[in-house]
Amino acid sequence: MLELRGLTRRYGDVLAVDEVSFTVPRGAMVGFVGGNGAGKTTTMRMVMGVLAPSAGEVLWQGRPVTAGDRARFGYMPEERGLYPKQPVLPQLTYLGQLHGMSAPAARERSRDLLERFGLGERVKDKLETLSLGNQQRAQIIASVLGDPTLLVLDEPFSGLDPSAVDQMSELLREHTARGVPVLFSSHQLELVDRLCDSIVVLHQGRVVAHGSAEQLRAGAPLRYRLTMAGDTGWVRGVPGVEVLDVDGPTAVVAPADEQVAERLLVDAVARGGVREFARVVPTLSEIYREVASV
Amino acid sequence: MATTGPDATSVVERVDPAAMGALSFDGEEPTVTVEEVADRSAAEESVLEGDADLALVGGPGEWEVLADGSPPTTLLGAVSDVVRTDALAANAEAAGTSVTELTAGTEVRLTDLAEVTEDEGMPEQVTFLLGFGFAFLFYMAAIMFGMQIASSVVEEKQSRIVEILAAAIPVRQLLMGKVAGNTLLAFGQMALLVATALVGLTFTDLDVALPGLAEAVGWYLPFFLLGFVALACIWAAAGALASRTEDLQSTTMPLTMVLVVAFIAALNLQGVWREVASFVPLLSTLLMPLRILEGDVSWWEPVLALVLVALFCLVTILVGTRLYQRALLHTSGSLSWRKGMRLSE
Repeated sequence: MLELRGLTRRYGDVLAVDEVSFTVPRGAMVGFVGGNGAGKTTTMRMVMGVLAPSAGEVLWQGRPVTAGDRARFGYMPEERGLYPKQPVLPQLTYLGQLHGMSAPAARERSRDLLERFGLGERVKDKLETLSLGNQQRAQIIASVLGDPTLLVLDEPFSGLDPSAVDQMSELLREHTARGVPVLFSSHQLELVDRLCDSIVVLHQGRVVAHGSAEQLRAGAPLRYRLTMAGDTGWVRGVPGVEVLDVDGPTAVVAPADEQVAERLLVDAVARGGVREFARVVPTLSEIYREVASV
Repeated sequence: MATTGPDATSVVERVDPAAMGALSFDGEEPTVTVEEVADRSAAEESVLEGDADLALVGGPGEWEVLADGSPPTTLLGAVSDVVRTDALAANAEAAGTSVTELTAGTEVRLTDLAEVTEDEGMPEQVTFLLGFGFAFLFYMAAIMFGMQIASSVVEEKQSRIVEILAAAIPVRQLLMGKVAGNTLLAFGQMALLVATALVGLTFTDLDVALPGLAEAVGWYLPFFLLGFVALACIWAAAGALASRTEDLQSTTMPLTMVLVVAFIAALNLQGVWREVASFVPLLSTLLMPLRILEGDVSWWEPVLALVLVALFCLVTILVGTRLYQRALLHTSGSLSWRKGMRLSE
C-alpha cells in the first residue's frame, strides 16, 4: 500500500502541491484527476523520489519509502523518452537491469512484452525508426519491465490509439489483479471512470475530492429530468423544487430531497402524459467541473 | 702528393693520415701517397694535370706548397703541422732548449659538458617533446572524453529518459557510472598511446632516456587520473546545465577556456612561475611529470602536488554532483552556472 501524507512542494514562493494525502491500497487502481498545473506531475515525481518534497512523506507498506523500494516501482513520466539512437531490445534490457533484473531475465521479459505489443519484429530497430504509436508502446513496456511492486503512470493513455488504450487497460488490470497498486493520472475522465476503483481530484495543489466514482456521484446534488407530452412550465410553481431548465416538454429540476421528487412525480402523473422521469447521474466531468470550480 | 727531393718526401711521409681528422665518405681513413718528381716545373705540371692534389717544393726554411685552385685543407694542414714541428725542433735546438720544454703548459684540457649531463637528465629536445606530448595527451583526453560525458548527459536529458533513470537509480550513481566509464576509456587510450610511444622509442638512439622516462610516466599516470576525474564531474554538470545539444557549446565554454589556457601556460611558463604552477591542480598534471623528467624536484614535491589535485578532485566531485543532481531534471531551457548552483533539489 502506498500512502501520501501531507506531501507539499514549493517552487520559490509558488505552492505547487499543498498537503496532499491519500492512499493507494493493494490491488487498487487510483485515478489522479486535475487540470493542467494542478500538481499531479509534481506529486508523482515526489512519490518516485525524482523530486524532493518540501514537507510531508511517502510511505510504502507503512514505513518511509527507500531507494530500494523505488527501484522496484514502475514509472512512466509525463515527458516520455527512451534513447532514440539505440535499438529497442538492448535499451529495454538495460532498463530492466537498472530495476535489479539479471540481463537474461530482463532480455526475456522485454522480448515477451514486445511480442505482446506487436513489436516482436522490430526488436533490433532503433527506437527513432518506430512510429510514434510504437514508441509509446515501448514506453509502456519500459514502465512495467521489472515486475513492479507499484505502478505510477503519468498520463499513460495520452497519445495512444484505441487499440493501444485497450492493451494498456488490460495490462493495468493484470497488475491490480496480482495485488499491485496502480496510480495513474489522466485527462480522459470517462476512461478513469471505467477503470478506477477510486479517484483523487486535485485542484491548485490540493485534494478537493477523493473516493470511488459512486461516492463522488452520491455527493453530487440530486437532479431529475421530467419529460411530458405537454408543456412542463407548471413545475415552477411546485414548492421545494428548484428548476434548472425548462424547454417545452422537458424540464431539469433539483428537488430538495427524494420526498419532494416523489411528490413532483405524483403531480405530474395527475396531469397526465408523463413520458420520462429519471434521476440525472452526473458524468465524472460534471463532478470534476463542480469540485474544481470551488 | 708530388715532391721534389728527399727532404720533401720525408716531410710528406711523416704526415699522419689520422691527424687529418675527417673520414672520407665511405668511412675509410684517408691515405697519403708520395710521388717524387724531377723538379719544380714537373711538380707544377703534375698538380695542374690533377695527378697530384698538392706538391711540396723547396727545402727546410723555404717550403712551398703548390695547389690548383682549391687546396684540400686537411692535407694542407697536416703537411703544415709536420713542417712546423720540424722547424720548431730545429729552432729549439739552436736556442739550447727542447720542444717539450717550449710547449710545456700550452695545452688546454677539454671537458665536454654535454656528455657529463647526459647521465643525469634528458637531452633538451626530448624533454620538450615529452612535455608537449604529456600536455597534449591530457588536453585531448580532457576535451574529447569530457565532451562525450557532457553530450551523453544532455542526450539523456533531451530525450527525457533521464526521469526514468532517476526514478530507478539514485542520480549520484548515474553520474558515478558515467564518470567511471569515461575515465576508464580515456585512461586506457592514453596508456595505449604512451606504451606505443615508449616501445617506439626503444628503436631510436634516444632509448638511453628510457629509465628516466619510466619514472616520469609513472608519475604522469596518477596525475592524469585525478586530473581527469576532477574534470569529468564538471563536464557532467556542464551537460546537465544544457537542455539541448545546441546549448552545450555555451555551457561547456568556461571549461574549454580553462583547458586551453592551462595547455598554453604549461608550454610557456618559465622559472619560478613554472615551479609554482606545477603545484596547481590540472597544471600539475601537465608540468610535474616534466619537472621530474628534468630531475630538479625533491621527493615531496610531486607528492604534495598529487595531494592537492586529489583535494581539488574532491571539491569538483561535490560541486559537480550537486549541479548535476539539481539541473538534471530542469528541462525548460539551459541554465547558467550561477543559476545552477542556486537550484533546489
